[in-house]
Amino acid sequence: VAAMAEEERALLGPAGGDDDGGGGSLGSPRALPAVCDPRRLPHRLLVLTLMCFLGFGSCFCYDNPAALQTQVQRDMKVNTAQFMALYAWYSWPNVVLCFFGGFLIDRVFGIRLGTVIFSIFVCVGQVIFALGALLNTFWLMDMGRFIFGIGGESLAVAQNTYAVSWFKGKELNLVFGLQLSMARIGSTVNMNIMGWIYSRVRDLLGYTGPSTLGLTLMIGGLTCLFSLACALILAYLDKRAEKLLCKEQGKTGEVIKLTDVKDFSLSLWLIFVICVCYYAAVFPFIGLGKVFFIEKFKFSSQEASAINSIVYIISVPMSPVFGLLVDKLGKNIIWVLCAVVTTLASHVMLAFTFWNPWIAMCLLGVAYSLLACALWPMVAFVVPEHQLGTAYGFMQSIQNLGLAIIAIAAGMILDTRGYLFLEVFFSACVC
Amino acid sequence: MQYNPGWNNSSVNLLHVRAVGPSDTLHYIWSSIGAPAVLLVATESRTSSLGINWTQLLSSAPAGYSEAQTLEELFYPTYDLSDFSWDSVNHTLNHTALMAEFTGTPAADPSGSFSNGSLAFRVTAYEASGRDRPLPSLLHTANSSKVEFVLAGVAPRGNSSQFVLEVATVEETGVVQKLRSARSIDDEYTPTIFEVSHWGGRPSMSGFLQWKATAYGSQTPRREDNIQCRSRGLQAANWTLPVSSVVRAYFGEGVGSTYTVSAINISFGGEDGKVYQEKRYLSWSALLGFGQPPKDTFSPLVISIMAVALGTPMGMLLVGSCLVLLAQRKRYSEYEPIN
Repeated sequence: VAAMAEEERALLGPAGGDDDGGGGSLGSPRALPAVCDPRRLPHRLLVLTLMCFLGFGSCFCYDNPAALQTQVQRDMKVNTAQFMALYAWYSWPNVVLCFFGGFLIDRVFGIRLGTVIFSIFVCVGQVIFALGALLNTFWLMDMGRFIFGIGGESLAVAQNTYAVSWFKGKELNLVFGLQLSMARIGSTVNMNIMGWIYSRVRDLLGYTGPSTLGLTLMIGGLTCLFSLACALILAYLDKRAEKLLCKEQGKTGEVIKLTDVKDFSLSLWLIFVICVCYYAAVFPFIGLGKVFFIEKFKFSSQEASAINSIVYIISVPMSPVFGLLVDKLGKNIIWVLCAVVTTLASHVMLAFTFWNPWIAMCLLGVAYSLLACALWPMVAFVVPEHQLGTAYGFMQSIQNLGLAIIAIAAGMILDTRGYLFLEVFFSACVC
Repeated sequence: MQYNPGWNNSSVNLLHVRAVGPSDTLHYIWSSIGAPAVLLVATESRTSSLGINWTQLLSSAPAGYSEAQTLEELFYPTYDLSDFSWDSVNHTLNHTALMAEFTGTPAADPSGSFSNGSLAFRVTAYEASGRDRPLPSLLHTANSSKVEFVLAGVAPRGNSSQFVLEVATVEETGVVQKLRSARSIDDEYTPTIFEVSHWGGRPSMSGFLQWKATAYGSQTPRREDNIQCRSRGLQAANWTLPVSSVVRAYFGEGVGSTYTVSAINISFGGEDGKVYQEKRYLSWSALLGFGQPPKDTFSPLVISIMAVALGTPMGMLLVGSCLVLLAQRKRYSEYEPIN
């Protein structure tokens, strides 16, 4: 979900944040080595790297539960509905926070402090999450996810604000693309490595249990610490650049007025509905997918992780390609329709056939990238520009709400009715 | 359902279940005299009855089917179920639910594994077709019975040992035994379990055993208690079976020569098979019957959701495209006069 916030901004970033941030003044006569000079490419590359790794930790840890589904359920002795609540707890704070993330950064903390604070939230959240596992108290894990959620989504907003303030102009789209790819890579690495870490920890301790899980999650939390370090260095560099170049602190420039909601047109509401139903049929499925591939298709744990992450992997190269394609050809509605039909086909394939699931999952990956590229810009067509901020905030908020509810519902369905029913349910969502 | 018909002693267990059809009768004779076994006899008359003089069993019998079971743990000496001492079934009989339970412990238990535990076969007969409430919710007919293998509190002898149950059948020669594992797309009634196994003879007029590839580690089974269950190697068993009096009595001494004996091993626990070690409970259910095993179908709920969810957009698309086509026709017709 953290990735989605970025996605929105990645696809529309320039429109949202171009008219602020303050132009950097060019009057700095002192010669500095290339790496230290904020105007030169090497230094900007350094900043770019830091920015990318800023979101790595939160994206890595967001999907930790999915990567360790069986382990979490066995060690903590929870049913699937309770397990999916971990995702729901992440979404709850963001139902509200989507409206205020931009405001907090612009008015309250400022970008630098804001980033550090959100990073700390992410770290603390992950540590509490792991602690909950160590102490074998599931509610503590829920709380950890809640705190993690407070930081995660806002961190993505901050990350984009940084990008706007440093790379305004031609490079911006590329930078957004890179950040998005990095987020996906975070998710992918997580899917493929957490199971392995768990088994190593188990070998080390000699038994499985809550403490094994807790230790594994602690190790996963290291990526968050790493991201926090990036946030601190970035804050320093930004401060330094501000001094040297006399530029202003970056701002999101987001203006959200809740009263705008009543002016939203029917087509915008329809877009919201599509958004909620579509994402609900993709993300909870990925969250629950591992067991499905193991049980139905007899995949090994490693293979199941790999196939579960293929959706993210595909969207890394496909998002920019589809972005260009949709920009060139227009006709967003047709593309959205294509994506929905393809997704439906892949869900039906997974539910009713024993065909190689790689086909279905690859299709799902392609459809997902296509939809992301076509749906988010559509909002800009049906909303006047001054309401754009509100519309996006609202869309994200609704999306988080929908995800939270459907995640729990999906868990309950799986426990009582099984995967076939779940797939049928997802297909119905897509329809 | 009758307990020890014609015998007034509860030191031995014999349970007779009769399923009467329009033109035939099925007899299930469960017994723990010797190794626990069930004798399934189909007769072609409505009035056939079970005559027991404890040596000779039945008069008219076109086909017989029986199983005998042994329990073992991998790499450990097997527990021979014929050496178990079995509690009386009498007090576990439930005539309304048609249930009975054969509980046993080894007569000699040097390792003390069974000091807090027991092994049981829970037998359920049915009055009508339907589906069990608790998982794995097997579909059953009035002609079939369910046997549930329950292991409660038995200490495993190794750190990561698995339990393996050996099930053997005795059939008249000429009946080809077959073990089929079918993967189904439907896991609605047994969530996340896609594999159904059938073990039966061909031609189809013989007994069958049907089960889902899972066992559960809890008395109130839930999805996450599932214990992986694998069946291996259908073999023509030439070795001597644990002596089961019912089997002996029915088939005589010809077991192994005039009758074929085949056996499979069912192992419980997967790669990370620690579930039993933690819960100390295992229950595995199988359906025993005669003829064609029942088949799961999609529930009406799934079908109706599919119909509504897929049908509505399809209908809208069709109507929409029709309207668009009609609109285009109209436009053309408006242009025509100008031409």
